Amino acid sequence: MNTLAVKDWLFRNSTILMLCVILLLFGAFFWWLNNPALEHLFIVTCITLIFVMGFQLFMGNSGILAWSYIGFVGIGAFVSAICSMTPQLKQMSVPIMYPWLQNIHMPLPLALLVGALFSALIAAIVVWPIMRLTGAVGVITHFALLIVINVLLVQWAQVTNGPRNFTVGMRPLVGFWTVLISALVIMVFVYFFKQSSLGLRLRASRDDRFSASTSGVNVVAVRYFAFIISCAIGAYGGGLMAHFIMDFTGHTFYMAEFFVILSMIVIGGPMSVSGVFFGLILVAAGRYGLRQFEPFMTGYGFNMTGTTEIILSILMILFLIWKPYGISGGKEFGLETIQGWLKPLKKGA
Amino acid sequence: MSQRILTVDNISVAYDAVKALNDFSLEVNKGELVTLCGVNGAGKSTALKTIAGVLKPTSGTIDFEGQIISGKSPEAIHKMGISLVPEGREIFPSLTVAENLRLGAFGRFKQSDFNADLEDMFTLFPILKERYRQAGGLLSGGEQQMLAIARGLISRPDLLMLDEPSLGLSPNMVDSIFNLIQSLKARGITILLVEQNVERALQIADRAYLLSTGHLVFAGDPKELEREMVTSVYLGQQQKEGARS
Amino acid sequence: MTLPVFLSFIVDTLGLGSQYALLALGLVVVYGIMGLVNFAYGEYIMVGCYVLYLIGLYANLPWPAAFALAIIAAALLGLLTEMIAFRPLRGRSLDALLVTSFAISVILQNVFLIGISPRYKSIPYPAFFDRRIDIFGVVTSLRSYIFIAVTLLLLIALTLLMKKTVLGMAMRAASENFVTARLMGVPANLVISSAFLISGLLAGVVAIFWTAKEGMVGPTSGVAPLLIAFIAVVIGGMHSLPGAVLGGYVYAFLTNALGLWLPPGLSPFREAFMFVLVILFLLLRPEGLIRGNYTEERVG
Repeated sequence: MNTLAVKDWLFRNSTILMLCVILLLFGAFFWWLNNPALEHLFIVTCITLIFVMGFQLFMGNSGILAWSYIGFVGIGAFVSAICSMTPQLKQMSVPIMYPWLQNIHMPLPLALLVGALFSALIAAIVVWPIMRLTGAVGVITHFALLIVINVLLVQWAQVTNGPRNFTVGMRPLVGFWTVLISALVIMVFVYFFKQSSLGLRLRASRDDRFSASTSGVNVVAVRYFAFIISCAIGAYGGGLMAHFIMDFTGHTFYMAEFFVILSMIVIGGPMSVSGVFFGLILVAAGRYGLRQFEPFMTGYGFNMTGTTEIILSILMILFLIWKPYGISGGKEFGLETIQGWLKPLKKGA
Repeated sequence: MSQRILTVDNISVAYDAVKALNDFSLEVNKGELVTLCGVNGAGKSTALKTIAGVLKPTSGTIDFEGQIISGKSPEAIHKMGISLVPEGREIFPSLTVAENLRLGAFGRFKQSDFNADLEDMFTLFPILKERYRQAGGLLSGGEQQMLAIARGLISRPDLLMLDEPSLGLSPNMVDSIFNLIQSLKARGITILLVEQNVERALQIADRAYLLSTGHLVFAGDPKELEREMVTSVYLGQQQKEGARS
Repeated sequence: MTLPVFLSFIVDTLGLGSQYALLALGLVVVYGIMGLVNFAYGEYIMVGCYVLYLIGLYANLPWPAAFALAIIAAALLGLLTEMIAFRPLRGRSLDALLVTSFAISVILQNVFLIGISPRYKSIPYPAFFDRRIDIFGVVTSLRSYIFIAVTLLLLIALTLLMKKTVLGMAMRAASENFVTARLMGVPANLVISSAFLISGLLAGVVAIFWTAKEGMVGPTSGVAPLLIAFIAVVIGGMHSLPGAVLGGYVYAFLTNALGLWLPPGLSPFREAFMFVLVILFLLLRPEGLIRGNYTEERVG
């Protein structure tokens, strides 16, 4: 084996290796802490990482703000939960469910997969014409689609238990390592997607739609397939979330969750996988820190639920004004970045 | 000699990372008709847009009547007395001729001044009086160009910049536009003219500049440029372009 | 359906449509000039409602004064959001403006959630809104007639502003070609601020209508009107002020008609139906019922 080629490959892809090491170190650290509350935080953050990565795959490469994404995450959550629950459990949890739905039952890994594929299928059926639209019309269409999905998830009582809680079970069915490994694999996938032929064509369509199509890129088709993949990833994450938090409604996967994902992407810089990763860590840590602060303020007579959202919103606006490409500046962090930091030091010495 | 009113000093302009103008300099004296020539994509429109404030230079300065205007907003520059008649006419199609003209005088709210100027425009462009209440979008190409020029003139600019005024017009119309430009010059209006129709432009200009892919390659007497055009290689290209339009 | 019932249906629809027309107009007046779909627009209405609530709670003002204050508050909020958040982003991508408006919406919602209460509060409003009026057997509430009359007056005033004043001309010119308008000396800030001011004013009037109809306000009160404005605007045409007005009336008709004829089992899905309609409209007729100057997007 040519060691030089391996070295070169490692150098070029130092970004993703670094991200994996960081994620694993975080994982090991939280595992070692062995604190249930912090473990819960870590798992939810890892699932959010899957949401964010799935969203970055489409938005970061195509430049299109697809609000409907979070709706497809919700579809994945419900479908996988319905598939994995036993008929008896469903009888108890959602008595009015259609009988044929109640009778479906399969092992959890398969259910997660079915959730992802079903959501991707719905996306495949619905979104083709939407991929033609850009600008404000595209945004409103995605937004309208999100509302349609949300109304269905919140009102279709025979499937989702309507506005009432949908209860999957008593204890979380997915654990620490399942979620961590899933997040790791998906992050690696999203990173290499950016360099893949489809990813390259998608990025070409973002930079210049017209010259991309004149050089043979079918812009609509490229966006279409990328969005389906993006939805499948998000829906898989939705399934994990459903089997971890165990109680949810259609509103769990709506504006509030989308806002969190968006803030991570904006602060990290949407075009960079590593940027989005660090954006997630910053926002997750910041949110956790602020949440600790909230009861403290409440103790002094303030009702501070919502402060976190306000601070996050202000941060987002400040980033959009002063650092429109986020902390990453649109580039990937890697060995080259570190070399860039070290250069002035060496000169000084 | 006459008084200098516009000095463009070594400006560079870039779209994203692509440089459209490199160290470009140009001067206009009061009462002069200066033409800026070059093929498509040479950077002529970029130069005018930068002077008008639509684009910001990355380096260099623009001085107008003793004040630095580079970096100012288009509306502020217009107020100081520079009026650009943009390429493609860009009249407001759903606004009437009257409203288009009224907007041209936006900076001056005095209705009496406006009415006097309006009469003046009607003598220059009688057709606009006939079409006064029609929507701008319903005019023919030549009429739209006249409206665009009238809209640029009505604010009584110290410097009128015309970007490709003959583009896409019939030969007859091209003639009358060039006649018009000459009569504006005769009125003492300072004009900076960008044209692809190089021969015609050189015939009426006092001084000429030639741009090629963002670089200034000639500045001086239009007659000299005309003579060079016959012999020089890159100007063969110019002539072809000129013949086409 | 008897004639009086039909006529009262018409009056109700026109009343509701008047409210929706103003809603849509407030969204489109900004969109036409900046290309921005302002997600914070609903919160202007919410703030108008909260002002009415607070006045009812702490100050015993006469109705006209309370209404005027609510309208002024919403208009100022529109102006403030433009100056603080949108102005520094001028010329940036559409998405940057959009995400910013979304963030502003989240901020405003949470400010009132913290400052007042997460719960909905009932707002006092004059009883005459609810008075039943009987005109030749056509029984409707006075509210509908007030909505229709006020909207008519506002539309006339707005038309005069847009057609007869130089500012109105400048705004119409800017919505056709922003750069050229600036080349004519039209200040970008003046035009955009005016658009936000008008948007806020209309939101303030809608807040009063909304109060008279719903009687409640909460931190998420802005969401429903925003969605209505979206639908109306898409139906009528995003690039034309008359289109927005027409879209408002059409949407009101569809809402009332669906309310009458949709089987009760499906009524929770009414909103989904409306948004499927929106998607179809955007796909098949993206320019809406009234075309306006429909071209590529641009950002001031």
